Amino acid sequence: MKYAKVYFDDVKVGDALPPLTKGPIQQIQLTRYAGASGDFNPIHQDDEFAKAAGMGGVFAHGMLSMGFVAQSVTDWAGAGTVRKVGVRFAGLVRLKDTVTCKGRVVGATRKDGAGLVDLELWAENQRGEKVVTGKATVALPTRG
Amino acid sequence: MPTEINKALKGKEFPPFVVTVERGQMKAFARAIGDLNPNYLDDAVGQASEWGDVIAPPTFMTTFRADGETGALLRELGTDISRVLHGEQEFEMYRPIRPGETFTCRSRITDVYEKTGRTGPMAFVARETAVTDRAGEIVAVIRHITVIRL
Repeated sequence: MKYAKVYFDDVKVGDALPPLTKGPIQQIQLTRYAGASGDFNPIHQDDEFAKAAGMGGVFAHGMLSMGFVAQSVTDWAGAGTVRKVGVRFAGLVRLKDTVTCKGRVVGATRKDGAGLVDLELWAENQRGEKVVTGKATVALPTRG
Repeated sequence: MPTEINKALKGKEFPPFVVTVERGQMKAFARAIGDLNPNYLDDAVGQASEWGDVIAPPTFMTTFRADGETGALLRELGTDISRVLHGEQEFEMYRPIRPGETFTCRSRITDVYEKTGRTGPMAFVARETAVTDRAGEIVAVIRHITVIRL
């Protein structure tokens, strides 16, 4: 169930996060993200500009894909649990692409009463090519 | 003719800038991602939560920027926006942030280096931003790597 509370005690190394599929990416979403984030780089809005820059056309903000990846974490672990999230942008996300965010648990430790869970994360397009790789640490409640 | 990148900018510190988180902007950011988590969007859910209000999605601090800073930095580096790609991004967060909070952001360039990738020579500019609240407590550290196609 989405937004169900996850307890540290119930998490095991190797557990998979529920995949989250976003898109297909539409220009209007990139325009909306530009407005909401303040990143108005024309390379995400103006196809001619992006072609002249040698990028072959517009592509999505990396930070939008990172937003998807972070959502895949908080859909599972809950809002406000993320202590650290870091990504590398491995490939461009184009218009009409879908982005599927995946992840798995790679570590679980108790520290100062909190349960810290380390995650390996990645996102793939519809061809299975990785567009984002990353990792995160979430703090989960413990049952005591 | 490849661009010559200004490596002397390593260590540069930017003037601190102040941001105040606006409720509407925070929610618009969550909606733009399509992340409809009620802890980001529903004030009643926020008030009943341990934080007493809605909170920002994990990547929201990407909106923390000083006016005109990106353009000025690119000019100083000797490039422009059409050559820039986002390489890496990291947020280390010590607590969630809420609407109405005011933060001070202090950025510096931690590294400038060049590498040749499969698409040709590129420069990497690593930036780190420390975010502190009004009590002077550290709230987050943001790390950002910009890639410049040379």
